[in-house]
Amino acid sequence: MEKNILIEVKDLTKYFPITSGLIFQRIVAHVKAVDGVTFSIGKGETLGLVGESGCGKTTVGKCILQLYRPTSGSILFEDKDLCTLSENELRPLRQKLQVIFQDPYESLNPRFTAADIIGEPLRIHGTATGKAYRERVAELLDIVGLAPYMAERYPHEFSGGQRQRLGIARALALQPSFIVCDEPISALDVSIQAQIINLLGTLQDKFGIAYLFISHDLSVVRHISDRVAVMYLGKIMEISDRTELYKSPLHPYTQVLLSAVPIPDPEVEAQHVPIVLKGEVPTPINPPSGCVFHPRCPKAFEPCPTVIPALRDAGGGHQVACLLYSTSWP
Amino acid sequence: MTALLQVRNLSTYFHTQDGVVKAVDGVYYEVAKGETIALVGESGCGKTVSALSILRLIPEPPGKIVSGEVLFEGTDLLKLSQEEMRKVRGAEIAMIFQEPMTSLNPVLTIGRQISEALELHQQMTKQDAYKEALRLLELVGIPQAERRARDYPHQFSGGMRQRVMIAMAISCRPKLLIADEPTTAVDVTIQAQLLELVRGITRELGTSLILITHNLGVVARYARRVYVMYAGRIVEHGTAQAVYHDPQHPYTVGLLSSVPRLDEPRKTHLSTIEGQPPDLIFPPSGCPFHPRCAYAIPKCSKDRPELMEVEPAHYSACWVALQKPTPWKKIS
Repeated sequence: MEKNILIEVKDLTKYFPITSGLIFQRIVAHVKAVDGVTFSIGKGETLGLVGESGCGKTTVGKCILQLYRPTSGSILFEDKDLCTLSENELRPLRQKLQVIFQDPYESLNPRFTAADIIGEPLRIHGTATGKAYRERVAELLDIVGLAPYMAERYPHEFSGGQRQRLGIARALALQPSFIVCDEPISALDVSIQAQIINLLGTLQDKFGIAYLFISHDLSVVRHISDRVAVMYLGKIMEISDRTELYKSPLHPYTQVLLSAVPIPDPEVEAQHVPIVLKGEVPTPINPPSGCVFHPRCPKAFEPCPTVIPALRDAGGGHQVACLLYSTSWP
Repeated sequence: MTALLQVRNLSTYFHTQDGVVKAVDGVYYEVAKGETIALVGESGCGKTVSALSILRLIPEPPGKIVSGEVLFEGTDLLKLSQEEMRKVRGAEIAMIFQEPMTSLNPVLTIGRQISEALELHQQMTKQDAYKEALRLLELVGIPQAERRARDYPHQFSGGMRQRVMIAMAISCRPKLLIADEPTTAVDVTIQAQLLELVRGITRELGTSLILITHNLGVVARYARRVYVMYAGRIVEHGTAQAVYHDPQHPYTVGLLSSVPRLDEPRKTHLSTIEGQPPDLIFPPSGCPFHPRCAYAIPKCSKDRPELMEVEPAHYSACWVALQKPTPWKKIS
């Protein structure tokens, strides 16, 4: 493992079985949520993971945290493969791997006070008790920009943005080196989104935490990420440095995604004709043959329905899984 | 251009245990024939309530339209009887809701739901209405319409359900379409498909459109004029050009600069609007935005500004906007 790499995901696959029958359950098919995904995240780096709903972004996040046990593949963290560890072996590592969820209304226990919520990880791992515990909770409230008097409030007394701050404080409690941010701002109002994005940025600078930032908002992902990966139907289509990906997207799917984002400027929009894709995302139970994007791809050509494109380097660490950029195919 | 719809001084309050929520508080807007306008604002600012008030779909109690006029082709909809109102809804003014799963009837087939409205409003026979429903489903781009018309809402994907909603909304060729966050629940590529579809249909039929959204990009792409709402009031309105390039209210200034833009160099830090949206039971005195406003002057906390024409055909409810040049202009 290279020195600056924090997490290395190799050939990650997660299939969910679909069963049939009430008494004699048998597996009739699989949802191929994640299908052979490889990437790495450096220390203190943000990797943006974009794609449409159902493309497997969240499943990737949950697999890294071992909230789902992957079907196959490996996830290297601190020289250990998380996939091979038992629950007991995982527990100490879980302190380093935290998560912020999308919906701040459902991810906080309504019967806990703010202080209880933030302190729960400390109690579970027994990292702080008594005075040290109270001080750490107060410190965490301060870090995320909440006032000390809010400690005794319950979740319903907070606004959406403040609840998301609570979620962040809880994730920070055990001084993690990595946080999965699963659509952390999509449930928030526009003016509040910017506050949370800035907070995440400040925390990263201060504590050197690496983020996997899962989102479908391409403008926000460009703002927050160092590198960006684009997923479609369980596979990574393109992964590259932020500037490079947005300046010269290679994969037709990335090009379509970027073109679909409306720019908040009527003059720019008057000039812009979005590429509108036909049809919808196919089912991951029975994904298309060859390149999974070929039935909707505006640039598909003759080998696309049969040849599965591998993710390969197109120069300067810009990786793309598309036959347009490979010189030969079998 | 003549106004198809004029909303004047509309106020809708909700009486709750904690007090009176002034969800919509003296709102003015108008839509011309064939025009697309946008109502922009954050959740709870009264966009949806004002639209539901136009159709008189406010649950009463706890809600009540306490004052104002909604003139549709010169007739005040608020004065119509329930019977007369029913002839307006769906036939003259139709609405596309945000969440298609909860606004479709789960126990009726899609074909039946669309043909029902046609039978009621257009006095079609059952067979004709069903045929027309199939035509509409094809028009909105549902593949294999004949087979899909026999399916139930849960058998459709989110984007397809929203297409069904659109088919239903245009079935009686309404003069005005209200689209309430039509694409919030769907992905970007589907969002582009749906909005292009709505744009094509409104152009072809000459339908006016009120687009309710919090997505500033969608507004820039589709609306000719924009109304910005904050705490139950319109705080700024003008052409999309004017509002985006020369905003005259600090709230609009804040909104526009808090979203990262794909066509501009990346900033290291986003500008934010500090604080939280106000409590609508006890709104701040004076201008409701003054506690969060970086440009507030003493007058702002005392007197409530009404909409004033600060530039030709560009209105703002802000005392500071009367200063020329406006203080935020220097920064941006």
